[in-house]
Amino acid sequence: MLQLNNVEATYSDVILALKGVSITVDEGQCVALLGANGAGKSTTLKSISGTIQSEDGEVTGGSILLDGKPIHNMEASDVVRRGLVHVMEGRRVLRHMTAEQNLIVGGHMVRNSTELNQRLEHVYKLMPRLKELRSRTAGFMSGGEQQLLLIGRAVMAQPKLIIIDEPSLGLAPLMIKDVFGVLKRLKDEGTTFLLVEQNSAAAFGIADYCYVMENGRIVLDGPADKMAENEDVKEFYLGMTSEGERKSYRDIKHYRRRKRWLG
Amino acid sequence: MDFLNYVINGALIGLLYALIAMGFVVIYRASKVFNFAQGELVILGGFIVWYTSFELGLNLWLAIPISLIASAFAGYLIERIFLTKLIGESVFSMVMVTVGLLIFLRGFILLVFGPAVRPFPIVFPLRPLFIGDLLIPMNLLIGGGITIVCAVGLSWFFNKTRPGLRMTAVAEDHVVASSMGISVKHSIAAAWIIGAVLSTMGAIIFLSGKSLTFLASDIGFAALPVALFAGLESIGGLILAGVIVGVAQGLATAYLDPIIGGSIGTVMPFIIMLGILLVRPTGLFGWRTIERV
Repeated sequence: MLQLNNVEATYSDVILALKGVSITVDEGQCVALLGANGAGKSTTLKSISGTIQSEDGEVTGGSILLDGKPIHNMEASDVVRRGLVHVMEGRRVLRHMTAEQNLIVGGHMVRNSTELNQRLEHVYKLMPRLKELRSRTAGFMSGGEQQLLLIGRAVMAQPKLIIIDEPSLGLAPLMIKDVFGVLKRLKDEGTTFLLVEQNSAAAFGIADYCYVMENGRIVLDGPADKMAENEDVKEFYLGMTSEGERKSYRDIKHYRRRKRWLG
Repeated sequence: MDFLNYVINGALIGLLYALIAMGFVVIYRASKVFNFAQGELVILGGFIVWYTSFELGLNLWLAIPISLIASAFAGYLIERIFLTKLIGESVFSMVMVTVGLLIFLRGFILLVFGPAVRPFPIVFPLRPLFIGDLLIPMNLLIGGGITIVCAVGLSWFFNKTRPGLRMTAVAEDHVVASSMGISVKHSIAAAWIIGAVLSTMGAIIFLSGKSLTFLASDIGFAALPVALFAGLESIGGLILAGVIVGVAQGLATAYLDPIIGGSIGTVMPFIIMLGILLVRPTGLFGWRTIERV
């Protein structure tokens, strides 16, 4: 469904943020993209959705194909029309609009009111909390509620593929469980995901396949269950040694340097 | 009775300011551009009405809709030529472009329509409405009604309809709006079309039966305090802000000008604006920053 072939992305014509990233996401799959801060995960998502252009960036090499058709450097609004929605990090709800208005904006391409209402009901069934909060100004909702609203807003567009950036960021463990529960249900309904996440335990719980990024490159990839058992991944992302003990942060930093060098 | 006269006429003039300010607000919401050329859009609209009704000799009720369509097209062209490339650039660049636009529009109008003072068609009855001792100009009375209808209509449009909600989303955050498939460029172009049409409607109400000169563009600056007082994102708030500013200006002109020797009425809207901005920098109904801590 989605293919990135040797994608290079540059900001302000100088900063090369992605250095030949290749990723494949098949229909119905949930693919997780892991990596430390600054690895290029968010830039990868922005390159796919076209929002990189709003930050003076562009795809300068390689290709991004959605259903076999190129979408790189396409206007973000046109990418959505092709069935791909980007849930951005930082809980970017439309703060001065109500929860329901946010959802309606998500489904703004629907011409028929009956269909729009059906989609609203689907979102409310999936996340009953949003129905209770439908008249609440989005800026005054809690972090977890805002994250659910963002997912709901993406679902309103009924996309083929949702790319979602750090849904667990800054959330309490119980809320993370709720958010990933919703993602799991959507996956079971057939939605395809490309998920960027630093909470690897949560990501492994839902992902079918994983890529690890470092310094703008893919350095590791494999099926999620195998990656969860990978010693390097366990060491770096879960902070555990092969004996199951906790690893010191100093050693983890050493691993990071090694990975950069390998990359 | 004089007092009531000043209050009612002040309120109606305030509603006219609110109509012009509505153009400011619609353009600001969509593009975050504070359009210093709003007054020039008013006289451009005025000249288009004059041209269609006097030069082309069209019936007034045909000339007005044609003028509104022509000014909508002019608003679209202005956005396409001057502003579309600036999306995402600094606010300062945008503001400087609107100052440039102000100078350009003055030059353009001079070049196309000439420097002569032109008559403006009588759109509303010249005879004022008398209610007892009250004297109410018909253009302002009908204009006040049009302003209220426009404010209610636009508030409904921006809050209840899908195209309106799309434009409100653009007003909140360009990047988020485009990540949801909303064309920011189209929304900004639509805002300039609405802004230009509102300016032409303001010109028709303000200039009905008067002379058309460049001095009419001053109403753009007179409407500025109303937009800032209401808050730059609020359409409905413009009505209240317009009435308060208009009444204060009317009373100041009537009672303070004779004591001080004039001009206090002219500066009164700006005094109110500065006062409210000191207390509430986002105006009465503007969007306050919502920060989660």
